[in-house]
Amino acid sequence: MDTSPVIRVRGLVTRFGPQTVHDGLDLDVERGEVLGVVGGSGTGKSVLLKEILGLIAPSAGRIELLGHDTAELGRAERTALQARTGVLFQNGALFSSMTVAENVMLPLKEHTDLPPALIAEVARVKIAMAGLPPDAGTKHPAQLSGGMIKRAGLARALALDPDILFLDEPTAGLDPIGAAAFDTLIQGLQRSLGLTVFMVTHDLDSLTSICDRIAVLVDRKIRVGTLAQHLADPHPWIRDYFHGPRGRAALDAKERNQARQLAKG
Amino acid sequence: MRAAEPVAGTLAKDGTAAELARIDAGPEDGGWRIGAAGRWTLHAAGSASDALDRAQKPEDGAAVRLDLSRVEALDTVGAYLLNRLADRLGAEGHAVEVVGVRPEHAALFGAVRDAGKAPPHAIERDHHPILDMVVRTGQTTVNAGKELLDLVGFLGLVTVTFGRLILRPSRLRLTSVLFHIEQTGLNALPILGLLSFLIGVVLAFQGADQLKRFGAELYVVNLLGISVLREIGILMTAIIVAGRSGSAFTAQIGTMKVNQEVDAIGTMGLDPIELLVVPRALALMISLPLLAFYADVMGLFGGAVMAYATLDITFGQFIRQLHTAVGINTVIAGLIKAPVFALVIAMVGCYEGLKVSGSAESVGIMTTKAVVEGIFLVIVIDAVFSVVFSMLGV
Repeated sequence: MDTSPVIRVRGLVTRFGPQTVHDGLDLDVERGEVLGVVGGSGTGKSVLLKEILGLIAPSAGRIELLGHDTAELGRAERTALQARTGVLFQNGALFSSMTVAENVMLPLKEHTDLPPALIAEVARVKIAMAGLPPDAGTKHPAQLSGGMIKRAGLARALALDPDILFLDEPTAGLDPIGAAAFDTLIQGLQRSLGLTVFMVTHDLDSLTSICDRIAVLVDRKIRVGTLAQHLADPHPWIRDYFHGPRGRAALDAKERNQARQLAKG
Repeated sequence: MRAAEPVAGTLAKDGTAAELARIDAGPEDGGWRIGAAGRWTLHAAGSASDALDRAQKPEDGAAVRLDLSRVEALDTVGAYLLNRLADRLGAEGHAVEVVGVRPEHAALFGAVRDAGKAPPHAIERDHHPILDMVVRTGQTTVNAGKELLDLVGFLGLVTVTFGRLILRPSRLRLTSVLFHIEQTGLNALPILGLLSFLIGVVLAFQGADQLKRFGAELYVVNLLGISVLREIGILMTAIIVAGRSGSAFTAQIGTMKVNQEVDAIGTMGLDPIELLVVPRALALMISLPLLAFYADVMGLFGGAVMAYATLDITFGQFIRQLHTAVGINTVIAGLIKAPVFALVIAMVGCYEGLKVSGSAESVGIMTTKAVVEGIFLVIVIDAVFSVVFSMLGV
């Protein structure tokens, strides 16, 4: 099995005019892990995501996706690489003029030459795997609730069986029960599909429950570690983040969950 | 987990032999064995379908062992195809046993099997094309009728609000009214002036061409006077305003609706009609007659310039002839329509804006609708005016 990192960022610098967002940022995302990315507002979480996806060019530095430098790829190679990444945008970014099934079928139609009947069947399976009811496929995005839009967006992101799944605030705007269900869904899909997940989030419960490692954007750099390592970090922002009242509550919930599972097991 | 594939070329349908999906089937002691091997992935799905089609069918009623132990790579599509094979064999009366699922494929295989179990939603019944057309025609007619009724209701609502404001004029938003007069009136002057001038030029030119044959060049002035003052000036104005301001009203109010600003107005005990609709309607009813008069002047001016250039009719002659050709009645017959058109355009624009629902997409749809409906109603009402005027002998 290939053990090289699926995402490797080296010396990333991002400047917007006089403002420096990232300054010499390094990051490795290992195959098959769930990485949560956190940081205060304006620390460049979304910018980092867009740079890795190739939507924004960094001011300096090198970004490798699945072993390929994204800046050096030709058009055809870039397209092929994009077919191996799936993105769930914050508000779903479903095409509003198409039904959910058509949204999921679009990448399959564009990137493969499967027969149309099989594409429709695969789309149906993906929609079911994303936890949507069967009749959701014929609906338009405007007819769906926030949680269902996220699930439909996830089904579309998974259409081509990507290696890497990028999630931008997947649980934002969901109620706690919906958010927990979405976490479970992502975890289940990650395990069964063998995905690498890069997740920008503010949801402390998601961080504590499904992330293998957590990357914190502070001081224009990134600090990656497990939850336990971050809990021991003396950096004031990280301490406030994980030891603040909300951080404590999420950690307590995690401990209670583990205790319950131990008692059950 | 799948091994890294070379990036370029992974999308090719056929790879090397090792990258294809294969099936081998044959009898084994007391039953039938189907072995799947190779890559069962999206990119090899073509070969997988072929392999499934070519595979030898088991004898009727034989127990089938589906062996997946030699599957090298599996993704959702491959898992779906293998599950479908198992389901189909099961439906044909075979006892199917799936064996040898590799541990790294087990979770995916199970997840796809569970997802595939969800019943496909009911397939829509076949439609009859002609019947469908009749149904659609009926629905469109009923909807158009409802919409018209709604619009009349909205007009009533706005009228009542107007009435309340007349009783308590201090509640009228004067700043807002003046702002919209500037937006819909003052800012429309350049485009409206230019277009009216050009229409005047075109009318004079075409008219002169025809009237020259009878030696009746001077009657170009009559033609221009009647057509511009009665119809063309006001119609041009109304159509341009419907396109410029009616659509702007829908877009403004629609965007506020999407941002829930209209809801916020409601929760603060304010009236969206009073705050948003009345100032716009009032502003348009003030600015449109002024614009129409301006369009009349510009249209006649364009005609006069053309008449001078091609027919040597001086401005003095033009004015004198205009005096004999049209009376004040003609001017009034044109301008009296202006406030009515203004009200219609403002009503349609604001009504469609308030009907925007949630999404940004519907702002675009409603804006288009407002322009089309606005222009449609303006022309219909203009026709009604013509009929009424001819009956009154104006």
